[in-house]
Amino acid sequence: MSEIRQFYFEDVEVGRVLETPAMTLTETHVRLFAGLTEQRGDDPRAVPDFLPLCVSSGLGWRVSQPPLVVLAFMSFEWQFLRPTRVGDTIRSVSRTVTKRPVKEVGVVVEARHILNQRDEIVQSGKLTLLVARRPAASAPAARS
Amino acid sequence: MNGEPGACYEDLRVGDEYRSPGRTVTEADIVLFAGLSGDYNALHTDAEHMKASQFGERIAHGLLVLSIQQGLLERGRPVGPPEVLVGIKWRFKGPVKIGDTIHVRGRITAKRDSDKPEWGVVTIERQVVNQLGEVVQEGESEQLVERRAGSRA
Repeated sequence: MSEIRQFYFEDVEVGRVLETPAMTLTETHVRLFAGLTEQRGDDPRAVPDFLPLCVSSGLGWRVSQPPLVVLAFMSFEWQFLRPTRVGDTIRSVSRTVTKRPVKEVGVVVEARHILNQRDEIVQSGKLTLLVARRPAASAPAARS
Repeated sequence: MNGEPGACYEDLRVGDEYRSPGRTVTEADIVLFAGLSGDYNALHTDAEHMKASQFGERIAHGLLVLSIQQGLLERGRPVGPPEVLVGIKWRFKGPVKIGDTIHVRGRITAKRDSDKPEWGVVTIERQVVNQLGEVVQEGESEQLVERRAGSRA
């Protein structure tokens, strides 16, 4: 069996752009999310503001790059530019803005846009992640 | 609009404070959120892996707690829908573990006109606090709140 590949701080390249697959947001997403988070809404076709961001975090796992070993989500700044409706298909495009080593780990800042099927940016911001360094014995992750 | 009367922009004052009800974050919340978001990071889904981590067990997704926070804050204050987020700045300061009970403290720190006459912009400082009184997440949001009909700028 081959070892599961993971992407460490050392593998992160500043400026690298990753585009995720897309996901159509359905009434099921909205109902599940509303039930889970107790968010009221009058319009069952309106997508709650935080749902696209949450879905983008999962879409980020479905790119060709091996998963980044994120130790913690530290902070983010986010703008809600356009409403999203049930039936919209979103994807995210992210770019590494900076990386810096801190003690035995690393901090990576990523700029992310969430786009809809019309290529309009619906949400956008920057996310700061705490990322593991590659263990000394581990082989380098493959790059696509 | 539902029939529930919500506060309008005019009713909100800088310095107003709210405290939400509490909510215990469960394993079911985390599993459901992993399925819904597609974020199956080991931090949230691999109990064995997490035994050896600094947390000692699985922790809730930061975005799950953020999303629960939004629902809690809406329950804890009189602003009725519709209300639209403009932006948020947020820090994840500590983990939320299975069984932790969180509540939200909110305080209005600013109000300003929007370029849309039927809305005003309200800034709310928010803190998510656990059962030990520790602030586990905090930040500041800006949102559009509807003005009362007739008093629109």
